[in-house]
Amino acid sequence: MPQLDTSTWLVTIIAMILTLFVLIQLKFHKYSYPLSPAPKTFKSTSFPTPWETKWTKIYSPLLLPQQ
Amino acid sequence: MNENLFSSFITPTMMGLPIVILIIMFPTLLFPIPTRLINNRLVSAQQWLAQLILKQMMMMHSPKGRTWALMLISLIMFIGSTNLLGLLPHSFTPTTQLSMNLGMAIPLWAGAVITGFRYKTKASLAHFLPQGTPVPLIPMLVIIETISLFIQPMALAVRLTANITAGHLLMHLIGGAALALISISPTTALITFIILILLTILEFAVALIQAYVFTLLVSLYLHDNT
Repeated sequence: MPQLDTSTWLVTIIAMILTLFVLIQLKFHKYSYPLSPAPKTFKSTSFPTPWETKWTKIYSPLLLPQQ
Repeated sequence: MNENLFSSFITPTMMGLPIVILIIMFPTLLFPIPTRLINNRLVSAQQWLAQLILKQMMMMHSPKGRTWALMLISLIMFIGSTNLLGLLPHSFTPTTQLSMNLGMAIPLWAGAVITGFRYKTKASLAHFLPQGTPVPLIPMLVIIETISLFIQPMALAVRLTANITAGHLLMHLIGGAALALISISPTTALITFIILILLTILEFAVALIQAYVFTLLVSLYLHDNT
């Protein structure tokens, strides 16, 4: 039976390992399945600066020391 | 007659160059890489098929098992396309080579088993003794379970080799018989030809089924061990 002739086994196994583990996986790696486009909800990305988180009365313009 | 019958299973070399390498790599040419958001029909159809197969196969696995998704989809596509290409006349089918099937089965099975030993040692060792066995039977059962574990990769490889080789041999024999019968008795030749057509349809099914079975069993061994 020609399948039992072990002289060709090394070539076949190396070619198969190269194909199966490298070439074909490189092809299927590139398949992407994006989700259908849907609108994203907006979230505010601006954060209040530290001196704006607390309002203190002394920063009211009419209460600043008069020049 | 023996030499002639098995001659299609000799690994092809052309003037000393092993062109079996090119034959094994050929199915990769049939899967183009998608480069657009909306691709052409061939790529879209293959992506759809891959998604169908992935959803069916990876549903039963844990997240750890799902890391094998790329490996399993490559395996089933490779074996399926190689088997189908082998149904063309005068072509060489790499999956008839025991060397290639052993090279596929042993690393994949060993990877699944070693993963099981590393991450779930107790559970994978517990597979050797089914629940509820009577105490006197334990030693014999451990031996039987060990044998059945180690025979899994051999069975995977030999199953694929034998199925595809047997199918191809039958087609050769029946085709040769139909050809020889034409000059002797055309009606018998017609009957033989119809048998050949039915056999070819069977071989298409076998090509796909064997790919599926191989991948399913690897997936099962993975499930046991993740």
